Amino acid sequence: MLFKDLPIQKKLMGVIILISGIVLLVTCAAFFTYEVFTFRQTTTRQLSTLGEIIATNSTAALVFDDQKNANEILAALKAERHITLAGLYNKEGKLFAQYPAATLPGAFPPLPGKEGYRFENSYLLGFQPVTQGGKHLGTLYLKSDMNAMYERLWLYSGITVLVIIVSFLLAYVLSKALQKRISIPILSLAETAKAISDRQDYSVRATKLSNDELGALTDALNQMLTQIQKQNLEITSFNQQLEQKVTERTNELQLANKELESFTYSVSHDLRAPLRGINSYTKILEEDYVDKLDNDGKKIIEVILRSSKRMGELIDDLLAFSRLGRKEVTRNDIHMDALVKGVTDDFMLISVKNNIEINIQPLLPAVGDQALVKQVWVNLISNAIKYAGKKTKTLIEIGSYPKENRNVYYVKDNGVGFDMKYYAKLFGVFQRLHSNEEFEGTGVGLAITHRIIQKHHGEVWAESKLNEGATFYFSLQTI
Amino acid sequence: MDTHAIEILIVEDSMDDANLTIRSLKKNNIANNLYHVKDGAEALDFIFAQGNYSSRSKSANPKLILLDLKMPKVNGVEVLEKIKGNPATKTIPVVILTSSQEDPDIKRCYELGANSYVTKPVEFEGFVKAVKELGFYWMILNKAL
Amino acid sequence: MAILKKITGSFHMALLLVCSTVFLSAQTSVTREYQVKAAFIFNFTQFVEWPENSFSGNQSPLIIGVLGQNPFGSFLEETVLGEKMNGHPLIVKYYNNVEEVKSCHILFVNLPETNKEEEVNAALKGRSILTVSDAPGFMQAGGMIRFFTKNNKIQFQINLEATKYANLVISSKLLRLAEIFTSGKK
Repeated sequence: MLFKDLPIQKKLMGVIILISGIVLLVTCAAFFTYEVFTFRQTTTRQLSTLGEIIATNSTAALVFDDQKNANEILAALKAERHITLAGLYNKEGKLFAQYPAATLPGAFPPLPGKEGYRFENSYLLGFQPVTQGGKHLGTLYLKSDMNAMYERLWLYSGITVLVIIVSFLLAYVLSKALQKRISIPILSLAETAKAISDRQDYSVRATKLSNDELGALTDALNQMLTQIQKQNLEITSFNQQLEQKVTERTNELQLANKELESFTYSVSHDLRAPLRGINSYTKILEEDYVDKLDNDGKKIIEVILRSSKRMGELIDDLLAFSRLGRKEVTRNDIHMDALVKGVTDDFMLISVKNNIEINIQPLLPAVGDQALVKQVWVNLISNAIKYAGKKTKTLIEIGSYPKENRNVYYVKDNGVGFDMKYYAKLFGVFQRLHSNEEFEGTGVGLAITHRIIQKHHGEVWAESKLNEGATFYFSLQTI
Repeated sequence: MDTHAIEILIVEDSMDDANLTIRSLKKNNIANNLYHVKDGAEALDFIFAQGNYSSRSKSANPKLILLDLKMPKVNGVEVLEKIKGNPATKTIPVVILTSSQEDPDIKRCYELGANSYVTKPVEFEGFVKAVKELGFYWMILNKAL
Repeated sequence: MAILKKITGSFHMALLLVCSTVFLSAQTSVTREYQVKAAFIFNFTQFVEWPENSFSGNQSPLIIGVLGQNPFGSFLEETVLGEKMNGHPLIVKYYNNVEEVKSCHILFVNLPETNKEEEVNAALKGRSILTVSDAPGFMQAGGMIRFFTKNNKIQFQINLEATKYANLVISSKLLRLAEIFTSGKK
């Protein structure tokens, strides 16, 4: 586990203990070094002092060649526990006296060495010249073990280890207690934040535990919460208002739709009833009283029948058109090739004309309501056939091409076409660019086409020149 | 009129429409036992042998009812509901008469148990088609009578 | 020359010190014994302090006198030649009788007549002269230092009362090596 991923409590404690540990270790090391250094210095000074005393005392023994006395003087070193060897060389460099008395002479350096003291293999040893009145009389050799220092260092080590253990324990206990002062507000803040995000309850407030940066943070959090709460309230009330408005509008719309539906039904029923009367009874007249009518009467009956039939068609188209407004558009993949093939085949079957040539290019598939799109094709192809004009051969071309993110389909004919200056009226309901005598029709077909494509979020448009044919386009979403 | 052996009951508020229907059926020789009532209320009286028709035998139900939907007082849907809601009458086949096949009530009528529908004016072809759906071949076979 | 002398002297001295036991055990060469004694006498100058007034000046010599017969030959003179004590050059003088002794710091008494030492000491009483002898009754006669032989080693006795009376300060180091003589009559 990485340090940065540790809980803040452990981090704080770790830092405190680490710092105190480092400080302690550095202090102890410095103390230790100082002690070793001081002790060596002190030991050297003590030994050198001792050497000087012994040297001074042993001058007479050397001068008067009193070996016994010299040995006695050295024997006094017994009091100095750490002196392991002492030797007195006469001025010829020969060992004159020694301590301890039983030591083999081989333990001593054969000749006195350079004046001064040095540490050698955990011993402090040195040579001290013995002089009297500026005269060199001999050399004193002293060897002291460092046991005293080691003893002391061991003692210090023990104390140090003890101090470190105690300090660590103290640091642990103190940091455990003290880190709470820092970590508890943080943890409490974190807990509050978690509770808020878990429960989405912005009415919760963090408790301020101190006046430091954490306190400021707590204040900031609480302020933020107040704002969120306020904004939430605003959003909620706004949403409610919106929902209420939507509900109101929906209700209004539903009501309007219902009214429209009943209106449509009324039109369907109420307009049809008298029409039915006109039509049916005129037919009866034609069937049962034809022998009582002259030619004019018969013609009038024909006109009545034709007019009532036309009115029936108008009503049907009007109903179909208004029905489109309510119809939900389904969205399916449409295989245009098959669809158009079916439509044209039907037309070829029922068409009374036999000079029609329909040329269908491979068509791109699209997405939409198959029944409605089929209606579009029916309308456009029937228009192309209807408005063929007096041409000897009716040529109809059907094709498609992709444009931007849509597919464009077209039906091109070589018929009578129309004047582009009336283009604005082309897709209007009951708008016609030809008289009924010229071409029969209600003027609803293109309006329905327009409506269907609109419902598919597509576009429909046309190009034409009078007597030079027309091309009708519509675009649909690609698959 | 003998209301006991009625084969076809026509419920139609418009006299014009009713006459057209009767004329069409008569012309095809299947109108021997036609009976026409002018609205839903009268239709219910006839079917359930009540009111003016209380003397009619309840057991002699019409073989077929042609029922218009748009009628004053009691409309066709209500009449249908009553017929199909009563065990004694619910087996009588009902053919709905409608001005348009777009009529939203048609769906509702099928749900209530209507057996077929015919778009007005009732021409013989439409009638035959509807009756065929019911399996009433005897009516058509009978037309020569 | 002086250095050479010193080296030679040192060499002799070293020889003496190293071989003293051998020489003394032989008891044959009186001269060798006195060579050691001469060195001892010289060394006494290093461990004894004379009062300032016993010297006429800073550079005035420290006089080592020999009263009576000279047992050292020229050895004593050779030993002290070129040596100094606190800036005072050491010289040797020879006296036949005590009356001749004027300015003197160490006097080796070697009179053939017995009982003469008491006279000598009495004559020198009160003067800062370290009297040294190897006569057996020297200490009883009021002498200050007496050589004697023990375990074939030359040793010496010191009479502290006498030295104190003569205003001489004997180094404790010297005293460590010496046998302290106490007269018992006070």
